[in-house]
Amino acid sequence: MQKSLRTWFMMALPLVLAGSLATLAWITRPQSGIPEGREEVVFWHFWGGSDRAVVEDIVDRFNHSQEQYHVRAVAMPGNNLDMKMFLAVTGGDPPDLINQDDPIVADWAHRGALMPLEEIATEEEVRQLEDWLFPAARELGSYQGRLYGLCNGLDIRALYYNRAIIRERTGQPAPERLESIEQLDELATACVLREEGRLTSLGYLPDPRRLWAWGVVFGGRFTDESGKVTCDDPEIVQALQWMVRYRERWGADTLAAFRQGDQSLPGKTFPLLAGRYAIVMDGQWRVRDIPADRSGEFGVWPLPPPAGRTRQAEGWVNGNLFLVPRGCRTPRGAWEFMKFWSGFGGKEAEAARTCSQGGWIPPSQQVVDQPQFQQYLRENPLFARFVQLAAGDQVPTPVIPGARMYYREVNQAAERALYTDNPADAGSLLEAAAHKVQQHLDRIGGRREEP
Amino acid sequence: MPDPRRRKSRRGRSAGWLFISPWLLGLLVLFIFPFFASLYWSFCRYDLLSSPEWIGTEHYQRIAAEIWNGDGFGNALWNTLYYAALSVPLSIITAVLLAVMLSWRIRGQAIFRTLFFLPSIIPLVASSILWLWLLDPQDGLVNHVLGWFGAPPQLWFQGTHEAAHPGTMLEFGSKDALVLMSTWGVGNFMLIYLAALGDVPPQLYEAAALDGAGRGRRFWHVTLPMLSPLILFNLVLGLIKSFQAFTQVYLVSEGTGEPVGSTLLLSLHLFLAAFQDLEMGYTSAMAWLLFIVLFIATILLFRSSRHWVHYRTSLGG
Repeated sequence: MQKSLRTWFMMALPLVLAGSLATLAWITRPQSGIPEGREEVVFWHFWGGSDRAVVEDIVDRFNHSQEQYHVRAVAMPGNNLDMKMFLAVTGGDPPDLINQDDPIVADWAHRGALMPLEEIATEEEVRQLEDWLFPAARELGSYQGRLYGLCNGLDIRALYYNRAIIRERTGQPAPERLESIEQLDELATACVLREEGRLTSLGYLPDPRRLWAWGVVFGGRFTDESGKVTCDDPEIVQALQWMVRYRERWGADTLAAFRQGDQSLPGKTFPLLAGRYAIVMDGQWRVRDIPADRSGEFGVWPLPPPAGRTRQAEGWVNGNLFLVPRGCRTPRGAWEFMKFWSGFGGKEAEAARTCSQGGWIPPSQQVVDQPQFQQYLRENPLFARFVQLAAGDQVPTPVIPGARMYYREVNQAAERALYTDNPADAGSLLEAAAHKVQQHLDRIGGRREEP
Repeated sequence: MPDPRRRKSRRGRSAGWLFISPWLLGLLVLFIFPFFASLYWSFCRYDLLSSPEWIGTEHYQRIAAEIWNGDGFGNALWNTLYYAALSVPLSIITAVLLAVMLSWRIRGQAIFRTLFFLPSIIPLVASSILWLWLLDPQDGLVNHVLGWFGAPPQLWFQGTHEAAHPGTMLEFGSKDALVLMSTWGVGNFMLIYLAALGDVPPQLYEAAALDGAGRGRRFWHVTLPMLSPLILFNLVLGLIKSFQAFTQVYLVSEGTGEPVGSTLLLSLHLFLAAFQDLEMGYTSAMAWLLFIVLFIATILLFRSSRHWVHYRTSLGG
C-alpha cells in the first residue's frame, strides 16, 4: 500500500510542478493595460533605437485621441519581420497591423494573406486615399488594381557629395546640379586620392544594389505592364555596362576590397563622412547621420541621366507600408491607426509632426504642405531636396510576387559584373536573372487563392 | 487468479509509458510528423498558406537541373561541399594538434587550455563580427600580417575566389574565410581529444619507446590510433555541423549569401527558399536530398572506419 502511494506521488509530482509553473506564468503575465471598453490593436513594427521612441510617441498620441481602440506596439527590430508575420498568419494568430519595408505586398496579396483596404475602409475613402497619395506611394501599396498597403514613408535615393573634397581635388566648387552621367564620371575621376600608392578615397563607386536606381534613370523598367520581368531591358543593360566601366578601370578585386572597407567602418558610419568618397548614392535617412554643424559641407544632387537623353525618371523608390493580415481581430482599429499615422482623413497636421520627428518623407503632398513640416524642411535643406524628389517621377520597386527573389537576383547579377574577373557580359547576366525570376513567377502565377 | 508479478510488471510498464509520454508526444508532433509530411510536400507545390498541390517530381527535376547548371541548389551544394571538405579536416587536425600540445606538462598548462577553449564559448554573433574586422581586405589585421611576409592582400569575405581551386589557388575568398572562422571554434573537439589523451595507456608509449620509436612515430602509431574512434565521432559530427552551418553565414552576408552567392551554403539557401520565396515544397525536396547525402556520407564513413579506426580491446594482464 505504502509503495503504491509512493508511485502515485511520483506520478503526480510532474503534474503538480507543471500546474505550479502554469499558475506562476499566469500570475506574472505582462499586463496589457488596455482601458476598459476599448478594443486592442496589435501593431508589429521593425523600428529600434531612437526611431522606436518616435513610434511610441505616435502610439501614445493615438491612444489618447481614441475612445474605441487601443494600439499595443510590438517592436521587432531586425530584418525578419515578414518571416515572423508569415508564421503568425499560417499559425492563425496574426497581428492586426504590421509596418515593414520589404517588397512583400504582391507575394502576400497573391496568396490571399492580406486584406485589401476596400474591405476595411469605405469605397469613397479608398478612392480619396488614392488621390491623396503621391503616385509612387500609391503604386507601392497596389497589386492587381487593388490597394493592399498604406504607405507612410517613402525612401528616395540621390547623390550626396562632399563640397570640400570636390573643391580641393578639382580646383572648382561643386556644381549646383549634375547634368549628365558623364559629368559624374569626370568628377569621379578627378576626385581619386592615393596615399603612398594606396587608394584611400574615390570620387564615386557604383554599388551593385543601386542598379535599380540607375536602371530607371537610364530609361529602363524592371517590369512591363503585364508584370513580366524585364531587367534585361536594353536601358538597364546600358546602366550595368556603365557601372562595369568602373570595374574595368579599377579591377574587380580593388572594387570589392574598397566596398568591404565601407562595411567595416565602426558603427556602420556613413562612408561619405569618413571621407572615403567625394560622392555617394544613398537615401534620405543618411541626412540624420550628418552632424548639424557639418551639414554645410555636403550637398545632394538628383541622379543625372546619360548625356543627350531626356530624363525618363528621377529615380527608384521604395517605402514603408502598413499591411493588415487576413484573419486579424481588429482591422477597423488598424485602419484608424494607419490614417492617424499617415495623415489621411484630416490628420495631416499629426502626420507632419510624426514625419518631422522621425525624419521621414510623407506619402502625400498634403502632409508636406503642413506648416510644421515646412518649418522642418527649412531647418533641414538636405532633407528638403529628397522631399522635392519624392513628388517627382519616381519609379517604384516592382510590386510582383517573387519581388524579393527578383531583388536578390538582379543584385547578384550586378555583383557578378562588378566584383568578379572576366564575368559574362552585362546583357547575358541580366538575361539569366530575368529568366530565373520569370520561371519562378510562372510557377506561382496560376495559383491565386481567393479569400 | 491474476498473477501479482504480471500485474506489477504491467503497472510498471504503464508508469514507464506515462513518464516518457511528454517526450514521445514531442517526438511525434515535432519530428515524426514533419519528417514524413516534408517528404509528401517535396512532391507538392506548397506555400503553407494554401493547400499543397501535387506536382510529382517537378522539384527534384528542378534540383537536378540546378546541379547540372551550377545555379541555385547546385551553387549552394558546391559551396557547402567546399566548406565541409576544408573545414572538417582542418578543424580535426587543429584540434588534435592543440590537444597534444596542451597535454604536455608545461608551466601555465591550465591557462593555455582555458585560452584555447575560450573561443568556442564566445557567442557566434560576436565572433563573426570580430572576424569581419580581422579579415577586412584593406585594414584587417590578417592582411596586415600577411603583408609582413610579402603576401598580397586577400579579399576574404568580399571575394569569390577559392584558395583550394586550381584556377585561383591561394587566393582567399569568402568561403575560405568561413573555413578559417570554423577552426576558431575547435575548443569542444580539442577538449574531447584532451580527455582521450589522458586515457591512452602509458605502457603503449613505453613499449613503442623500447622499440626505438621517436616522438613522431609514437604520435603516428600510438596516439592517432588511440584517438581514432573519437576522430570518427568528430568527423561525423563535424560533417553534419558543416552541412547545417547557418548563423555565421547569415551574419557575415547579412542573410544574402553575398558576394555573388559565394557564401550561400545549403542551409541559407533553404532558409531563403522557404521564408522569402515561400517555396516550401522545393525546400522540402532540398532538405530530403540533404538528408540522403548526409545519410550516405555517414554510412560511408562508418564503412571506411573498419580500415582506420582502432577500438581498444582489453590490454590483458
